[in-house]
Amino acid sequence: MRGTSFRWVAAAMGVIWVGVNAQEPRLDEWPSGRATDMAALQSGARTFANYCLNCHGASLMRWNRLGDIGLDEKQIKASLIFGNQRVTDLMTVAMNPHDAKTWFGKAPPDLSVIVRARNTVEHSGTDYIYTLLRGFYRDRSTQTGWNNVVYPNISMPDIFWERQGPREATLTRTEYQDVPASIGKGGPEQRLVQTVSQFDANGVAVVNRTELDHGEPGFAYGFKSADAAAAKAFDAQVADLVAYLNWMSEPTAQTRRRIGVWAIAFLVVFVGVGRWLNAVFWRDVH
Amino acid sequence: MGLHATNYKGLLGWIDARMPSLMTAFRTHMSEYYAPKNFNIWYFFGSFALMVLVIQFVSGILLAMHYKPDSNQAFWSVEFIMREVNGGWFIRYMHSTGASFFFIVVYLHMLRGMLYGSYRKPRELVWIVGCLIFLALMAESFFGYLLPWGQMSFWGAQVIINLFSSIPKIGDVLSTWIRGDFVVGDATLNRFFSLHIIAVPLALLVLVVAHIFALHDVGSNNPDGIEIKDQTDANGRPLDGIPFHPYYTVHDLYGLGFFFLAYCAVLFFAPEMGGVFLEGNNFIPADPFQTPQHIAPLWYFTPYYSILRATTSEFLLWLALGTLFLGVLAYLRVRGWWPRLTVSAVTFVAFVLMTVPQVRLDPKLWGVILMGLSVMVFALLPWIDQSPVKSMRYRPRWHMAVVGVFIVAFVVLGYLGMNPPTPATTLVAQLCAACYFGFFFLMPWWSRMGTFKPVPTRVKFAAH
Amino acid sequence: MTASLQTAGGPVAPAAAVDPERRNAVITACVVGGVGCVGVAVPIVASFGPSEREKAAGGPVDVDISSIAPGQMQVVEWRGKPVWVLHRTPAMIASLKRDETLLADPLTKRAAYPTPAYVMKDPSLRSIKPDYFVAIGICTHLGCSPSGPFAPAENPQLGDQWGFVCPCHGSTFDVAGRVFKNKPASDNLEVPPYKFVTDALIVIGDDKKST
Repeated sequence: MRGTSFRWVAAAMGVIWVGVNAQEPRLDEWPSGRATDMAALQSGARTFANYCLNCHGASLMRWNRLGDIGLDEKQIKASLIFGNQRVTDLMTVAMNPHDAKTWFGKAPPDLSVIVRARNTVEHSGTDYIYTLLRGFYRDRSTQTGWNNVVYPNISMPDIFWERQGPREATLTRTEYQDVPASIGKGGPEQRLVQTVSQFDANGVAVVNRTELDHGEPGFAYGFKSADAAAAKAFDAQVADLVAYLNWMSEPTAQTRRRIGVWAIAFLVVFVGVGRWLNAVFWRDVH
Repeated sequence: MGLHATNYKGLLGWIDARMPSLMTAFRTHMSEYYAPKNFNIWYFFGSFALMVLVIQFVSGILLAMHYKPDSNQAFWSVEFIMREVNGGWFIRYMHSTGASFFFIVVYLHMLRGMLYGSYRKPRELVWIVGCLIFLALMAESFFGYLLPWGQMSFWGAQVIINLFSSIPKIGDVLSTWIRGDFVVGDATLNRFFSLHIIAVPLALLVLVVAHIFALHDVGSNNPDGIEIKDQTDANGRPLDGIPFHPYYTVHDLYGLGFFFLAYCAVLFFAPEMGGVFLEGNNFIPADPFQTPQHIAPLWYFTPYYSILRATTSEFLLWLALGTLFLGVLAYLRVRGWWPRLTVSAVTFVAFVLMTVPQVRLDPKLWGVILMGLSVMVFALLPWIDQSPVKSMRYRPRWHMAVVGVFIVAFVVLGYLGMNPPTPATTLVAQLCAACYFGFFFLMPWWSRMGTFKPVPTRVKFAAH
Repeated sequence: MTASLQTAGGPVAPAAAVDPERRNAVITACVVGGVGCVGVAVPIVASFGPSEREKAAGGPVDVDISSIAPGQMQVVEWRGKPVWVLHRTPAMIASLKRDETLLADPLTKRAAYPTPAYVMKDPSLRSIKPDYFVAIGICTHLGCSPSGPFAPAENPQLGDQWGFVCPCHGSTFDVAGRVFKNKPASDNLEVPPYKFVTDALIVIGDDKKST
C-alpha cells in the first residue's frame, strides 16, 4: 500500500460522492420542539431502554444521569434497568460484540453520541435518525427480511414493526446506467433509467424499469400504512426517542447555553469597562 | 555589598537590587518600549494569538489530567471528560474552539503583515520566526487531531502520513518510522500525544519568545509603513511612539473583550460550527476497516489540501509552461553570470521533472511538493516583495486588488478542500492555485509596477 | 554605587498628580476582570474534584449479613478501603464492658477519624446493633490493615483480651475498634456511615433514612 493508497482513496471518494448524491433520499424533519420537553425525553428514555439497549450499548451514559431529565433513582431502578445493574453503572450492552458481529455482520454501534456522529453539512443527525427509524420496509431479499430507505441493506431489523404496523413501500430510483445498444448500434451507451420497486406488506417486490429521455438522477420513496393511526402514534414515539438520543449525545447542552448567556452578558459589561479604560488613557495621546 | 542600585521601593526594590533583569525586561518590553501610536484593528491579532496560546496551554493541561492516550480508551476518555468530569465539557470546548481560533487569528495576523509590509527590512527575521511558528502550529494541530481517535482523526492521519510514502526510495520506510507501525495505531497515538503535549509546545514557546524579542529589538512597524525611529526627540525617543505599557496594554485589554465575545459565542452556542470546528464523523470511534465517505482535513489545512489535489498530470503541463515563463522573466531580471546560471539550471531541472517521460516525477509527488511550497512560500515575502513602499496605503490601488485576488483564491481553495472533488471543482482549484502561486512568484515584477504615492515622514494619527 | 543610581531602573522623579478618573477606570477594570477570572477559575478548580466515575465507584456497597456466623468477620471493599463486618458473640460483647483504663480513648472523644452519632448510643459498642460491628479496617497509626479478631490468649500482643493487632507497628484494638493504651496509634478505628436496610442487609456508605 504505497502512495497509491491516497489516490485510490481520492478516486473512491469521487465515485462514492457521485453515487451517494444520486442515492441521497429526502429526510423528514424531526419536530425539534420536544428537544427540551421533559415528558418527551422521559418517554424517549423508556423507549430506548426497552427497545435499543438489547443490542446497542450507550457506554458513556450512566443510569443516574437520567436524573437530569427528571427521573429519580427509584423510577430508574424500577422501570428502566433490567437485570442487576446498579443505578450508578454505565448503560453497557448485554450482547457480546463478537456474537453481534456473527449474527448481524457488524457489531451494532454504540449510541452514546449517535446524533452528533450523524451531523453533516447536508443534514442534521436528528433528521437522519428520525427518518431512518421510520423508514423500514419489508424486503424478502435481505438477510433480516427488512430494508431501509435511508440506509440500504442495513443490518438492523425493524424492531418497531409491531408498533408501526404493516406498510407498503414504493421506491423510485433514477440513475445513469450502461444499457446495451440496439442491434447494429455498437457498444453499450449511458441512459437515464428509472427503476420503480413496489414492496407489499410481505416484502414481495414488483419492479418496473423504464428508460427516460430527460430527468434528473435521484431517489424518492413513499409509504402506505395499513393502520394510519398506529403509524402516526409511532411517529410521535420515535420523535420522543430521537429527542432522548439528542439529549444523550450531549447532556450538558442546556447547561452550556444557559451559562453562555451569562458569559456573553458579562463580556458586554467588560467591553464597556474596557472602552472607558481605553478612552481615559488615550486622551493623553496626541 | 554586591547589591545593585535601585530606585524602586519596598519588595520591588529588594528584588530589583538582587535581580535587576526582571525590571529591566519590564522596561525594555513594556513601559519603555515605544510602539507607533497609529496602530489600527489589524494590530490586535498578535496579542490575541498570545491569548489563545495561553488558553490552549491551560485547557490542554487540564484535558491531559483525564485523557487516556490508548487506542482502546482515547475516544471514550474524551466523552468521559465531556460528561463526567466537573466542568469537563467547558474545558474540552475551550480547547477545540481555541484550536480553530488560533488559526483565524494567525491568518489575520499574517494578512496584516502583507498589508503593511511588516516583513520588510529590518524585520525579516521576525517574519521568518513567525513562519516557523506557523509550521509548528500546523504540526501541533495535526498531532492533536489524532488524539480524540475518531474516524476523521484516524483517516486524516492515515492519508497525510501516506503522503510521505510518495517520496521515491525512502517513502515507505519513512512513513513506517513516523507511524511506529505499519498502519496508524496505538503506537502512533502514543507518540503523537507526547509530541502534542510537550515537544511542539516547548518549541512553540521558544519560537514565540524569539518572535517577540526579534520584534522588540528593531521596533514595530505601523500602518503607514514608516520607521518611527527616524524622527526622535531630544531624549532619543521616537516622536510618533508611545510606551507600550500602559497605552497598548490597556488598548489590548479592550480588544480582548471583543475577542472573548466572539470566542465565547462560539464556545457556548456553536462549538461544532456546523461540523467545521468539530466534525460529525469524529463522533464515531476510529475503525481501521471502514473509510468514511468524506475525508477532509480541518478547515485551516484545506487551502493547501486543495492545491495537493489539484495537481494532476494536465495541471503539470500548465505548470511547466508557467515555470518556463517565470524562468525567462527571472533570467532577464538578474545580472551577472552566476545568478543567471542558477536561474537557468533551476528552471531547466524543474521543467524536465515536470514534463520529460521516464524522468518526470509523479503528479502525486508534485502535489506534495506544491503543497509544501504553498506553505513555505510565505517565508520568501521579505525578498520577493520589491515595492519601494512598505504599506498598502501608499501603493497603487490596483495592488490591493491583486492582494484581494490572492485572498479570494485562498478562501475558494479552502472551501473546495472541504468537499470531495469533481471535474468542475478541480478546474476551479487549479485556477486558484495558479493565482496563488502567481501572486507570490510574480511579485518581484508586479510589486514594482504602478505609481506610488509619497510616503509621509510622520504617521497619520487622529487623537481619540 | 552612587554613579549607577542614574542608570538604575524605577521612578526617579516624583509621580504626576493622580488623575481620579484614570484611577477609577483602572479599579473598575480590575474588579470586573477579577470577576471574570473567578468565573473561569470555578470550572477549572471543580474539574480537579472526583468525577462522576469516581463518585460511582465510591458508591454504597450492599452486604448480606445473614451468612456471617457468630465470631466470623466479612471484609468488603468500599471506596478502595477494606470494611470489616464482624458478627460479635456475647463473650466479645461482654469483654467490651471491662475496665476502660486499658483503653486510650474509651469514649471516642478524639475526632480525627469521625464516628457517626448513631453508633455512639452506647460508647462501648460503637455500632447500631450490638452483635454487628462495622469499621474501616485501616490502622489509625500509619494505614496498615490489622489482623484478627483474636480470642484471649491467642495473640501475645493482646494478652487476655479480644481484639485486633496491627502487624506493622503493634497497635492493638478491641472488638469495638477502640485502641489500647501506649500503642503507636492514638485514635479508635474509623466507623463508616452505614445502615440496616433489613435485618439481613446492611448498606455501607449510605446512612440516609429512606422516605
